[in-house]
Amino acid sequence: MSETELLLWVRGPALQGATIIFLLGIAVRILEILMLGRKTDLAEARGSAVAGGLRTIISRSFAQRETLQRTAFTEVTGWIFHIGIFVTLLFFAPHILLFEEVLGLSWPALPTTVIDATTIVTIIALLAVLVHRIANRVTRFLSRFQDYLVWLVTILPMLTGYIAFHRVGLSPPMLIAIHILSVELLMVVFPFTKLMHAFTLFMSRYYNGAIAGYRGVNS
Amino acid sequence: MSATLERGIHAFKEVIDAPVASFFSSCVRCGLCAHACLFYTETEEPKYTPIYKLEPLRRVWREEYSFWGRLTKALGLSKPVTDDMLTEWETLVYDSCTMCGRCSMVCPVGNDIAYMVRKMREGMAASGHAPAGLIGATQRAVTIGSPMGVKLPALQAQIRHTEQDIGLPIPVDEVGAEYLLLLSSMEIMNFPEFIGAIAKIFNQAGVSWTISSEAFEATNSGIQIGVSDIAAELVERIVSAAEKLKVKSVISPECGHAYMAIRWEGPNLIGRPYSFKVVHILELLDDLREQGRLKTTGKETQRLTYHDPCQISRRGGVVKQPRNLLNMLAEDFVEMPESGTMNWCCGAGGGVSSNERADELRLKVFNRKKQQLDAIHPDAIISACSNCRIHLEDGLEEYGMDMPVLSLTETIAEHLAGSEQPGSKE
Amino acid sequence: MTEFSNDTDFRKALDALDATQQRLVAARFVENVIALCSDERIARVIRSASDSKASEGELVDALKTARATTFDCHTRCGSEGDWAEQAGYFVARAATAALTPLGKMPSGPAWQAAMSCRMAQTSMSIVSGDDTAGQESKQQYRILSEFLDS
Repeated sequence: MSETELLLWVRGPALQGATIIFLLGIAVRILEILMLGRKTDLAEARGSAVAGGLRTIISRSFAQRETLQRTAFTEVTGWIFHIGIFVTLLFFAPHILLFEEVLGLSWPALPTTVIDATTIVTIIALLAVLVHRIANRVTRFLSRFQDYLVWLVTILPMLTGYIAFHRVGLSPPMLIAIHILSVELLMVVFPFTKLMHAFTLFMSRYYNGAIAGYRGVNS
Repeated sequence: MSATLERGIHAFKEVIDAPVASFFSSCVRCGLCAHACLFYTETEEPKYTPIYKLEPLRRVWREEYSFWGRLTKALGLSKPVTDDMLTEWETLVYDSCTMCGRCSMVCPVGNDIAYMVRKMREGMAASGHAPAGLIGATQRAVTIGSPMGVKLPALQAQIRHTEQDIGLPIPVDEVGAEYLLLLSSMEIMNFPEFIGAIAKIFNQAGVSWTISSEAFEATNSGIQIGVSDIAAELVERIVSAAEKLKVKSVISPECGHAYMAIRWEGPNLIGRPYSFKVVHILELLDDLREQGRLKTTGKETQRLTYHDPCQISRRGGVVKQPRNLLNMLAEDFVEMPESGTMNWCCGAGGGVSSNERADELRLKVFNRKKQQLDAIHPDAIISACSNCRIHLEDGLEEYGMDMPVLSLTETIAEHLAGSEQPGSKE
Repeated sequence: MTEFSNDTDFRKALDALDATQQRLVAARFVENVIALCSDERIARVIRSASDSKASEGELVDALKTARATTFDCHTRCGSEGDWAEQAGYFVARAATAALTPLGKMPSGPAWQAAMSCRMAQTSMSIVSGDDTAGQESKQQYRILSEFLDS
């Protein structure tokens, strides 16, 4: 297969396939959760479950003052790589073109120098997160194969994207193909792993805040 | 699979709902929950990480309710839950967890881990993996009416002597009283002066109240061990008594899990809303204060701090009331460094104190409370849970700390205006 | 001889005593019920409490022992209660109260000790089934009278 054929396949059928698995998988996972249902609370409410739930969706992004001292590393690196991923994904001009193709929407891009720097910072943060996961006794104990796999499929698009942009090593079409493949890998792995938290955290935080809010507690 | 294991797995399946599935789906193994749990912070043993305590439940969720899990199970590739695993998890679920819920407050993805521990205990108990102390307590609660074996004559004797000491009647089985007071066996046995304190306060404030001879027990062992059927039966007894006596409100006394049981879990256990309200004694006292019906005199001059019982404060929502009352009572009130809904557990709730096997661990993790106290140097601690009180005393003694642990209700009673004893009966 | 016939006067008189006097009379209240406690540490504790010349250090140690005994004697949450043993717990609590410095508890040490001693008797009455209401308080009135007159 020539480079062009590979690239066409990667941008065509492979991307379609990955997208189907991605979207279908996410839908199935979410439905699986919702179908289990939740019993109505028959106790007399003190506060609002809905308000509590919505509040916690936002507030839980910010660490409690009390725990920050103990968990600053995880909080800070977490913020950095999450923001980094979103910034590079959403504000890099070639990505915005792709979104325009698919969704018909477009928005201003950030300068490539900014994206470049963000990518480096994100990669460093992700490396730090891995070292921490292995070095820290709690995360080392908790981590399974999946945690390391997810780390890999998350950092690969950042790495391959950076290399592709800077055209290092292989020909541009090859580098792009590899980058897109790495994204497809992420998409395919996504619904079967903890990456689902990107969607389910809204539900979890809501449930948490709702249960607490019903009792008059801000969680 | 043994019959008992099957019962346990079945119970696990039954308790898994959308929140549980969402929580397990969201966990990213960040480990932050460990840093909110005193059982981890004071031992640094990763097995005490809150989310890890749920591993058997997580496996059942995965295998039964997730596509990938069901697929791997069908292909024989999954790791099932075994009796041995549940044996190993018994100490994690019962000895090193009080369901205090601090982990639930910090999880970045929003997992309510304590909610899940409560549910997991259903499967543990059903499969015969609950601690002996709790099993005994639950049996006594069902057959005798009190987990500590307190029978009605004993309560009546306490009541008689209290009436004698304070010179006020203690109403029992009064139909049409506004409030029905429950008492925990811990209070009846270890802190019976609570009864006298209530009588004095209610007398001054003009509260119409009663105790029920048929349902005086507040403690719900079913909640602690994790057998909802028993928990429901214990609640039904209180509901029957409340309806029979036609009270408007039931008062939950100074006991943490009792409040959780009757106020928040109760209607859901019995499957219907109550026809009466439920208040914690602190809520009522604060209402009386606000209405100007609670008149106190003099203030405590020693430096006081408040220990928030987890089930009343963080899990129960009664946070500002004790503080309103303390502001009325105390000249020098200081909050612990992490207070209110983020206060640290005393380490003894949720059945841990009933479990002799957990004694050493419980005392070790008291170090967290000690550090809170070391930062503020109080002269005394006030709290509103008999179990917290006794275990704070134990912990303080263990660590060579010298300070009394007081009950908020009893302290209020001591400061009632015009509280000279009426002539006691001879 | 000052006689007491009701708790109002009894408590007033107790609260009027100074710290040492409260400790000494409280120790006498405890001695009156000490047979109800099977833990020998209490006897030692009360010896210190009844010593008007006991040093600060001795009293602090005695208080520690009293507290430890109180905890050891209590019925743990959820375990089967034994009212005869609970009597011992209340005796230990009375001893703890006797040794607690003034101002540390909302009610005075002597009054608190008196109440705990009465609870010890109540516990025994639950076991025996006898109605002993008022008996211990009468004895406490006598003890205080004798103390004040000595």
